[in-house]
Amino acid sequence: MPSGKTLNAVWKGVKSFFKFWKDFLVGDSPVLALGVIIILCVAYLLRGSAVLAPASTIILVLVLITFAVWQKTKARRRHAHN
Amino acid sequence: MIDQNAVLLFITVALASAVEATEALTIILASGITRGWRSTFEGALLALACLAVIVGVAGTALIYYVPLYALRIVVGTLLLIFGLQWLTKAILRQTGFKAPHDERDIYDKQVATLSKEKGILRGQRDSLAFAISFKGVLLEGMEVIMIVISFGLANGSQGQLGTAALAALAAVAVMTAIGAVVAKPLTKVPENYMKLGVGNLLTVFGLFWMGEGVGVQWPLGDIFLLVLLAIIFLATLGLTAYFKRVHESLTEVEQ
Repeated sequence: MPSGKTLNAVWKGVKSFFKFWKDFLVGDSPVLALGVIIILCVAYLLRGSAVLAPASTIILVLVLITFAVWQKTKARRRHAHN
Repeated sequence: MIDQNAVLLFITVALASAVEATEALTIILASGITRGWRSTFEGALLALACLAVIVGVAGTALIYYVPLYALRIVVGTLLLIFGLQWLTKAILRQTGFKAPHDERDIYDKQVATLSKEKGILRGQRDSLAFAISFKGVLLEGMEVIMIVISFGLANGSQGQLGTAALAALAAVAVMTAIGAVVAKPLTKVPENYMKLGVGNLLTVFGLFWMGEGVGVQWPLGDIFLLVLLAIIFLATLGLTAYFKRVHESLTEVEQ
C-alpha cells in the first residue's frame, strides 16, 4: 500500500502533467482551442459536400483569427474610450 | 523532380525551429555567462538527449500503431491551434497591441535573476545553471518536437520524419553557430516576421490535414495547399493593416 506521501507526490505529478499540456495547447487563448474544435466538428458534419466543407472550414478559420485578434485588443479599446 | 510538399515542410520546420532555438539560446547564454558553462552545457545536452528519445519513441509508436486518418485529425488539430496562436500573437505584435519579443530584455532579466540566486554546488555541478538550461531547452524543444513529429508523420511516410528532423537540426545548428560566434542574444533575428510566416504555414498545413483526416475533399488535391497559403497570407496582411490603423487611432485618442 503506497504511503500518503507517495500518493501526494503522484497527485502533484499528475496535476503538473495536465497543467503543462493545458498551458502548451490552450495557453492564454482558450477561444482558439475551442474555435478549432468547432471547426473540426463542422468539417466532419459537412464532409460529404465537395463545396460546403472546404468553403465553410476556410471561412471559419478566417472568422476565428479575426475574432481572436479583436478580442485581444478589446481591453485597449475600452481603455481608450473611457 | 522536387516535391513541393517536402520543400514547404522543410521551410516550415526550419523556421519554427530557428525561432525556438533563438529563445533557448537566450536562456543558455544567460545561464552560461552568469553561472558557468559546464553545468549549463550539461543541462542543455541532457535536454537534447531527452528530446531525441521522445522523437524516436513517439515517432515510431505513432507510425506503427495509429491509423493515418486519426493521426491527421490529431496532428492537423494541434498544428491549427499552434498556427493560430503564433499568427494571433504575431499580428498583435506587428500592429503595436503587444510589445515586441525582445531577446535582449529577456536576457537581461535572466542574468539579473541568476546573478542573485545562490544555487547548490554538487561536486563540480551548479544545480541552478543545470536546471535552468535543462528546463529551457526541454520546453522550447517540445514545441519543435511537436512540429517535427506532426509534419514528419501526417503524410504517412517515414521519410518525411527524417526530412522534418533534418530541417529542425539544421536550423538549431545554424542558430547555435551564430550564437557561439556573437556570444550574446540574437536581437537581430526578425523573430516577428518569422512567426508570421510560420503561423501562416502551420495554420495552412493544420487546416489541410485536419480536413483530410475527417474526410473533406480539397479541390486540386495537394496543390490546394498553395491556395490556402495565399488565402491565409492575404487575410494576415488585411488584418495587420486594419488593426494597425485601429492602434494608431487609439493612440491619437489617448493623447
